[in-house]
Amino acid sequence: MAMITIGTIKRGLITFIRPSDVSLKTDRRIQFVKTIIITIFSLSVFIGVWWGLSLLIDTPFLPPPDIVFEALLDSFIRPDITTGRTMWDNVVTSSIRVAWGFALAFVLAVPLGLVMGFSKTVESFSKPVVEVFRPIAPIAWAPLLLIAMGGKVGPIIVIFIGVFFPLLSNIIFGVRSIQPILMDAARTLGAKRGDMFIKVIIPSTVPYIMTGIRIGLGIGWMCVVAAEFLGAVGGGVGQYVQFKTEVNRFDQVFAGLIVFSILGLSTTELSGWVERRVMKRMGLK
Amino acid sequence: MMLSIEKLRKAFPLEEGELVAIEDFTLDVKKGEFICILGPSGCGKTTILRIIAGLDTQTSGKISLDGKIIKGPGSDRGMVFQEFALFPWRSVRKNIEFGMELRKVPVKTRHETSQKLIELVGLEGFEDAHPHELSGGMKQRVGIARALANEPDILLMDEPFGALDAQTRNMMQKELLRIWEETKKTVVFITHSVDEAVFLADRIVVMGERPSSITEIYDIPWERPRERASMEFANLRKEILAKLEMMVRPE
Ligand SMILES: Nc1ncnc2c1ncn2[C@@H]1O[C@H](COP(=O)(O)OP(=O)(O)OP(=O)(O)O)[C@@H](O)[C@H]1O
Ligand SMILES: [Mg+2]
Repeated sequence: MAMITIGTIKRGLITFIRPSDVSLKTDRRIQFVKTIIITIFSLSVFIGVWWGLSLLIDTPFLPPPDIVFEALLDSFIRPDITTGRTMWDNVVTSSIRVAWGFALAFVLAVPLGLVMGFSKTVESFSKPVVEVFRPIAPIAWAPLLLIAMGGKVGPIIVIFIGVFFPLLSNIIFGVRSIQPILMDAARTLGAKRGDMFIKVIIPSTVPYIMTGIRIGLGIGWMCVVAAEFLGAVGGGVGQYVQFKTEVNRFDQVFAGLIVFSILGLSTTELSGWVERRVMKRMGLK
Repeated sequence: MMLSIEKLRKAFPLEEGELVAIEDFTLDVKKGEFICILGPSGCGKTTILRIIAGLDTQTSGKISLDGKIIKGPGSDRGMVFQEFALFPWRSVRKNIEFGMELRKVPVKTRHETSQKLIELVGLEGFEDAHPHELSGGMKQRVGIARALANEPDILLMDEPFGALDAQTRNMMQKELLRIWEETKKTVVFITHSVDEAVFLADRIVVMGERPSSITEIYDIPWERPRERASMEFANLRKEILAKLEMMVRPE
């Protein structure tokens, strides 16, 4: 039978050797170089406009880029005179806060989301509570939490609240999006409720969990800024920015903003990369 | 006699009243028999198969398999879906082993069985591929192997080749007959294609318009493989087509 002879040839041969593959590779390389050139160009235009504006307006609130970049470099090399911390220390402090808040949200949102999506009873019990809390901006909790739980734990809880709800909604949505026919197939193969949960619901929700993580981390970085503005203890990039605003060092304020941009961007990129790796490993493309 | 359907009735509740999909459907299927069910769209073919599979329950009537009343899904019945319904995160081998995992079959036996099934359906070399890497025909080979892995007595197939192109479809029909002859399973096979039914079936059950019951049963005692170009094939096809056309009222 034709099929069987094809079947005995190793899979790689059939799926991967195509004459068009070679040109596909060069195509992709050209595309990559193009993207890089455009990125460099767009950033240059941005910095040019910034420079022009700072010269034109001439206000201390908008320092020119060269001064800002100098302040940025300096902040990493030299400890701050008043706090004794380098920017690096601040980055580490803020990152640890985001990591804790995120981890807390993850261990609670994942099981709760899976169970809420799966069980009608659990859902109808927890939904009213979740819906009451969801619309409250996480930052609105910050002043209270910082007083109640202190400058160490408070910020972590603010981040936790920020990450928890989007992650939860995404997971519930993921469980709801499972194709009913996959559950039918599992049932005809003998799956009981527990099997269904472990072997069908969880794996098919993984992509939604990954997306939730990516969105959650982005929100985590926004929340850490707010929490640090409002009085976290022990530094952090947010505190640095706030402090520098108070002492009119706007070059250093902008340096802090750039650090936030880089941190947020690299977190998103990193989680995007992990997401793609996981999807590929699971055979989901 | 193995599968017995007696006076089956299925009504779906609607906002007002109900939709009677199946009315007074009675059929006995013998062990090892290949049954095809033909009928106009929406007449309740899928509904019947889902009830036999235990995925749905009848409003009234009795279905039993080897004398045992059917209550819910069971590994004595395997189902193959038109949409394949493979688990996309599982490799070919892991898809096939799904049912055995649930039944806690030891790993070694599981591997041996899945290997045999992979050979049976002609998927050697694709053991570790994921569904998105397979063509439609190959996906359905996995679907068939996965259903067979539970060693069911009966294979329920709902338009399994409906999503395939004509050429692949013809090839899969031949493959299915080969598998059927090797495994000696009982098959209940739903199709829209008269040609497919005449090529495959020992008996063709033709259903009518809703509320549906059986309109006609055709016995086909011919040998296999059947020759589509033969006179008798063409004649029977024409006869059944005419029957179906008569049933579908002009709109
Ligand atoms: N869950 C449901 N609720 C209400 N009506 C339903 C439900 N499932 C099926 N029906 C109706 O029952 C009838 C039979 O449906 P069924 O899917 O069994 O038909 P079918 O013969 O398989 O059709 P097709 O050839 O298009 O696959 C249809 O009119 C359908 O709309
Ligand atoms: Mg159908």
